[in-house]
Amino acid sequence: MGEVILTMKGIDKSFPGVHALDHVDLEVRKGEVHALMGENGAGKSTLMKVLTGIYKKDSGTITYEGKEVEFHNTREAQDAGIVIVHQELNMLGDLTVAQNVFIGREFKKGIRIDDKKMNEEARKLFDRMHIDIDPTETMSRLTVGKQQMCEIAKAISHDAKVIIFDEPSAALTENEIEELFKIIRDLRKQGLGIVYISHRMDEIKVITDRVTVMRDGTYVGTLITKDSTKDDIINMMVGRVIYEDPKTQNMTPKGSPVVLKVDHLNAGKMVRDVSFELHKGEILGFSGLMGAGRTETMRALFGADPIDSGDIYINGKKVIIRSPQDAVRHGIGYLSEDRKRYGIVVQKTVAENTTMADLDDYSNGPFINKRKEHDVAEKFVKSLDTKTPGVDQLVVNLSGGNQQKVVIAKWLTRNSDILIFDEPTRGIDVGAKNEIYKLMNQLAAEGKAIIMVSSEMTEILRMSDRIVVMCEGKKTGELDISEATQENIMNMATREID
Amino acid sequence: MESIKQNPLVKKVGFNRIVLCIVLLLLYALFCVLTGGSFLGTRRILSALNYAYFLGFLSLAVTFVIATGGIDFSIGPVMFCCALMAGFSFNIHGVPMGAALVISLVVGLAFGIFNGYLVAYWDVPSFITSMASMNIAKGLASVFTQTQSVSWPQLDGDGGWFRNLVTMNGIPVGLVILLVIAVICAVILNKTKMGRYILSLGSNKEAVRLSGVNVKKWEMSAYILCGLLVGIAAIFFVGAYTTVQPGYGDQYNNEAIAGCVMGGTSMAGGLASISGTIIGVLIISLLQEGIMALSLDKNLQLIITGVIVIVAVFADVVARRRKN
Repeated sequence: MGEVILTMKGIDKSFPGVHALDHVDLEVRKGEVHALMGENGAGKSTLMKVLTGIYKKDSGTITYEGKEVEFHNTREAQDAGIVIVHQELNMLGDLTVAQNVFIGREFKKGIRIDDKKMNEEARKLFDRMHIDIDPTETMSRLTVGKQQMCEIAKAISHDAKVIIFDEPSAALTENEIEELFKIIRDLRKQGLGIVYISHRMDEIKVITDRVTVMRDGTYVGTLITKDSTKDDIINMMVGRVIYEDPKTQNMTPKGSPVVLKVDHLNAGKMVRDVSFELHKGEILGFSGLMGAGRTETMRALFGADPIDSGDIYINGKKVIIRSPQDAVRHGIGYLSEDRKRYGIVVQKTVAENTTMADLDDYSNGPFINKRKEHDVAEKFVKSLDTKTPGVDQLVVNLSGGNQQKVVIAKWLTRNSDILIFDEPTRGIDVGAKNEIYKLMNQLAAEGKAIIMVSSEMTEILRMSDRIVVMCEGKKTGELDISEATQENIMNMATREID
Repeated sequence: MESIKQNPLVKKVGFNRIVLCIVLLLLYALFCVLTGGSFLGTRRILSALNYAYFLGFLSLAVTFVIATGGIDFSIGPVMFCCALMAGFSFNIHGVPMGAALVISLVVGLAFGIFNGYLVAYWDVPSFITSMASMNIAKGLASVFTQTQSVSWPQLDGDGGWFRNLVTMNGIPVGLVILLVIAVICAVILNKTKMGRYILSLGSNKEAVRLSGVNVKKWEMSAYILCGLLVGIAAIFFVGAYTTVQPGYGDQYNNEAIAGCVMGGTSMAGGLASISGTIIGVLIISLLQEGIMALSLDKNLQLIITGVIVIVAVFADVVARRRKN
């Protein structure tokens, strides 16, 4: 490790209602690979966005190459030599490799683009990186791994001095990861500072020199990788917070029947061989890090995305679910993580949203029975304590927590027995959160079977009777609440799978 | 301004529609003055109404499609295709008038089913689908009629009774039929499952799908209803103007869409008003009659409807932005 090239000190950033970064520090040296770790929402991406000028910091200082700097956009950061290699690749598939690498700064011959020179320059660049890619190849014909190499080449060609890798290995195969690591080691030898964001504990051990851990927008600490264990890092990630009334034992009645059984479910890349059972009156928590495939599993189960293989049994009977229509008919209700997009119709009223899944029962032939609709909406506004001036109010005017209650009312109106709550309290303030929790417990006590997908550890430990943990599309563990701790859940959620 | 908007009566009728009615009356008064009073008689009004009938049905038709968040640029040419195929069948093939009218409806319906199926089940953008149907309608009509224009019978001719649907002994029967069908459309849009689903999926299709609703079926239904109404529009077009030529009809697309968006239907889908559409159509019909009465360049009509569409859509965009 060489001298310090980049120091971020006391970085503070607030968004309306959220203190995203609370005096965070980060130091990167020349010739080091520095891991940035933390749970979902810990503030890693926000910190990097502040660094590269996408967000403007509220306070704190950024010192780069000995001078205090503030970038106003990624272009400025890039020109100074700080480049991000994103998780999602920003490539134009129909252009050639060389055209992609030099996009926005093409070599020109008069007014014509000099493709020959670009190909030569790209080839020189690849040679320097010891990678074998034909610059004249069409981008979309390369594997994801090779595309990522191109993205890195692009970063280097900007004369980068600091490269930030945002979960670079997420889409790569084992061999491609090896190749990636070779390049990263090479860059380290050349004296670049590298920030490496990843959830994969094993990679962190292999490739990084130091680890900075963040939690809930705060800086927790920095460790020397080779002197610390995986458990040290996990302990720093989860912290030692005491949560209010976590569940200590499984509240599901003994001998409660299995209402839903999912057997070896496969759907796309993100749902691989997932099996689990759900009992009547149970809250089954689904934990895992971002991109673990939990939402994808639920969407497949609900028929929103196609299933490749696997069986679903409801009340012991095998069912075929090809569309949300089938799922709803079998008594499943899905409350999406993204209410505005998937949950409610904002230009419709509370009453109209309430009957959305069950309009047939509130119609006489083709005509809607508005009185009956009005009555059922009133009933649920009262029983769920939804704060709205009336059931004829457009849902767009309701707060997040109350919109969530309208979605709950929709599925209760339909009388669904299996409710999937995907991030039920995302974007909901604390008071409303508690109400939603109370409601979920009440529904479980009434005999509904509930699946709760949550990225918040506190929520998982507070609400679940049992916990399924997923990592990279696979189920990596199942725990009863009595044996669950933050540590063993996090262990499962970061488990390397081969 | 705000206090006017909060008035219960204004709220019930809708601020937008009240403004439109005032515009309609002012426009009428303006033409009365400009033409030195010749607009005061019933002749001009009846003539404007003749225009309003077919345009009204066209505009109602496209209202349902726009409510789903789609668009239909084939309505004008399909209307001509209906009129040409039905009229040709009557003139040349000797089909009775009653059957000819049914042919018009069936042709419209067929295009509606075609458009709706492609959009709803195959996910083809409605813009593309309707552009293609527009060409198909023009081509089909030309082939069917061997590129001859078709004239429908006069009132005293064989089969001329159909003109009584438009005007009977000077009574504007067409207006009654238009209003009755508009009321039926309003009931469908506001009181039935079909209307509820059409508006909801226009606003947020994915949320409706994830509620377990067969969104494809309901989206297609809007296009089918649209096709049927276009078939009706064709009958009223020839009832007023007698002769149709193959290869035309697109000029009415814009006017129908203008009437619809002026009346408060959002091009982004999810919001629609039948009464607004009807008032919008009356304004456009009056405008075209006025331009004719003043012997102004007919192309002025094109410019004005173009501007109306842009202004109405812009107003909608601004209103949405303010809400967010």
